[in-house]
Amino acid sequence: MEKLLNKNNFDSLITGLKKQGYKTIAPRKDNRLVTLEEIQDANEISLDHVITNNSIKEYFLPKTEKILSYTIDKNKVEIEEPEGFAVKSVIFGSRPCDAFSLPVMDKVFNWDCVDKFWVERREAVTIVTISCDKCDSYCFCTSVGLAPDAKQGSDVLLTKISNDDYLVETVTEKGENLIKELESVFSDPPSDTPDRQVATVEKKFDISKIKPWLDENFEHDVWDDFSNKCIGCGACTFVCPTCHCFDIVDECTMTKGDRVKNWDGCQFKMFTMHTSGHNPRSTQGMRWRQRIMHKFKYYVEKFDSTLCVGCGRCSRVCPADMNISEMLEIIETEAGK
Amino acid sequence: MIEELRKKAEELLKNGTVKVVFGYGEGSTPERTRPVFITKPEDVNKLTWNKYCVYNLTTYLKRQETRKLGKPALILKGCDARTIIVLLKECQIKREDVYIIGVTCDGVGDPLATKCEACDVHTPLIYDDLVGEKRENKEVPFEERYAELDEYEKLGEKEKWEFWQKQFEKCIKCYACSNICPLCFCDRCIVEKNQPQWIDPSAHPRGNLSWNVTRAYHLAGRCINCEECQRVCPVDIPLNLLNKKLAKEAEKSFNYRPGYNIDDELAMSTYKEDDDQDFFK
Repeated sequence: MEKLLNKNNFDSLITGLKKQGYKTIAPRKDNRLVTLEEIQDANEISLDHVITNNSIKEYFLPKTEKILSYTIDKNKVEIEEPEGFAVKSVIFGSRPCDAFSLPVMDKVFNWDCVDKFWVERREAVTIVTISCDKCDSYCFCTSVGLAPDAKQGSDVLLTKISNDDYLVETVTEKGENLIKELESVFSDPPSDTPDRQVATVEKKFDISKIKPWLDENFEHDVWDDFSNKCIGCGACTFVCPTCHCFDIVDECTMTKGDRVKNWDGCQFKMFTMHTSGHNPRSTQGMRWRQRIMHKFKYYVEKFDSTLCVGCGRCSRVCPADMNISEMLEIIETEAGK
Repeated sequence: MIEELRKKAEELLKNGTVKVVFGYGEGSTPERTRPVFITKPEDVNKLTWNKYCVYNLTTYLKRQETRKLGKPALILKGCDARTIIVLLKECQIKREDVYIIGVTCDGVGDPLATKCEACDVHTPLIYDDLVGEKRENKEVPFEERYAELDEYEKLGEKEKWEFWQKQFEKCIKCYACSNICPLCFCDRCIVEKNQPQWIDPSAHPRGNLSWNVTRAYHLAGRCINCEECQRVCPVDIPLNLLNKKLAKEAEKSFNYRPGYNIDDELAMSTYKEDDDQDFFK
C-alpha cells in the first residue's frame, strides 16, 4: 500500500497513535544528542539528524533488565517472572540500517533458546522508518548490502519526496494494519513518480572480499597494528545495533534477589577472563579480531547474515578514532595482495 | 611545528633514545586526529599537530599493548604533562622510563575545549624537549579556574540530585570514562570485583550512581582536568563537572593542585602523624 503523509499531519499521527494505545518512540534532540526516546508530542521529533546516537536495540534488548526475581526460604525457592515488558509501541523515524538490525538479530534470539524478551517485544513493536535524506562519512550501509531507503526490517517506510511530504510504503501486514488504524492522517499518493530524496552513501569496500580473507587470516599483524590505540572500553559494542552479547548477574541478599541481564562487550578485558586467571583473549588485538570475525565471518557461517548494518556508530563514538569501515578497507586491500 | 615534531621523533628513534613515539596522526575526518605509535624513523611523517589533538596520550602508559612497544617518547601538551607528575608521585612510572616531547599549546578543540579556557600550562611544566615557542604560564585566579561550576553551584541540594539523576540515567556502563583516564590505572577496577560486589554492574539508577560517583571520588585531588572522560562519553554526561567540583574542594581543603609541582605531597595519599589539616583527623 502507498500513501502520502504531510509533515503538518505528524501531530495528528502522534495523537492518533496515542489514542490507539501505542507508546511512541521517536528521535528527540536533547542538547548535543539526538536519541530515540518516548515522546508525547510531535513537536519533540527531530528530523534533521543523520542518525540517532542510540540504536534501536535498546527497545528490544535493554541495557539492563530483570529476567526473574527469587526468594530463598529454608525449604523452597520461589521464582517470579517479570510481566508487562512488551509494550505496544511504534518506533517512528528510525533509520533503515537500524530497522534491518532487527531481522538480523531475530536469527540469534530465535536460535537454540528462544528469547521471550526479544520475541515478545518484536511482536509488540511496529517499526516506521524514515529513509535517510542525508548521510555522513561514517555511514557505509551500501557496503554491507543495504541502502539508505532499504525496507528490510521496517513495517512502514517513509521517504521524503518534497520539503513537507513523505511517501508512505507499507512493508508488512503489521505496517498495513497500522496505516489502516490511522487512515485519516494519510492522503493518496501522487499519481506521477515522486522524486525520492535519498542520500547517496559511498560504497567503501566489497563485502564479498572480506569473509574469504577472514577465513585464512586468524593470525595476522593487522589485528594488533590496527587496534593498538584501542582503550578497551565498550562504547563501540554498546552503541552498535547488532552487538547483542550480555552478562547475567544476581543482585541479591542471602534470601532474595533479582537475576539481571546486562549488556556486555567483547572489547572488555574481563569479557573472557576465566576464574583461573587465564584469559584466552589476552590482548586487545585478539579482542578486536573477535569483533570483526563475529560480524563478518562467524555470524555469516551460522546465520547466513552479516552482523553489521553499516550505521557507523562505533566509528563515531570511538574514543581513539578506530574506524570499522577503514578496517574493512584494509582487509579488502590485503585480500587483493 | 609539525616538521619540528617529526624531526625530533626521527632523531630519538634513530639514536635509540626511545623505541616508540606516542603522537597524533590524521584522523578519519578532518575534525579528528588519532593516537599513533611510531616505531620506525621512516614513519615519522604520520605525525601531525593541530587544534584537534585533544587526546591525553599518557593513558597509553597504562596499556599493556603500548607498553610492550618499549620505552616511549610522548608528545604532551601542558595539561597532559601534568599527568606525568601525578604518575611519578604515585609510583606508576619512573622518570627515566619516559621521554617527554612537550608542545606549547594555545588550546585544542573546535569549539575550544572548556579545559583550555582557564589554562595556566600553555608551556608544559615537565619535559625533556620543548617544541613550539615558549609561552609564559600566567597564573589564573581560583574563581576563574572553577568558573565552569558557577551555574551548578547555584542549584539547591534537591536540584543537584535531580540533575545528576537525569544525567546518570543515560549511562550505559561502557566504561569509556575510566578506560580513557590515564589516572584510572588499576589493573582490576573496583567495578570488576564481585566478592563482594561493591558496585552493581547493571546500568540501572543505583548501579549508575554508584559507578559514576565512585569513579569521580577516586580522582579527587588527582584529576588533572584533561577532560578526556567527558570527551569520550557516548551519552554526553558532563563528567568534568563532577571532577572539577571535587578538584575545587580538594584545592580548598588541602591547598593542593595535582600535577603542578613534583615536590608537593599528594593530597589524598600522604600519611603524617602531624597532619596539619584538623578536619581530616
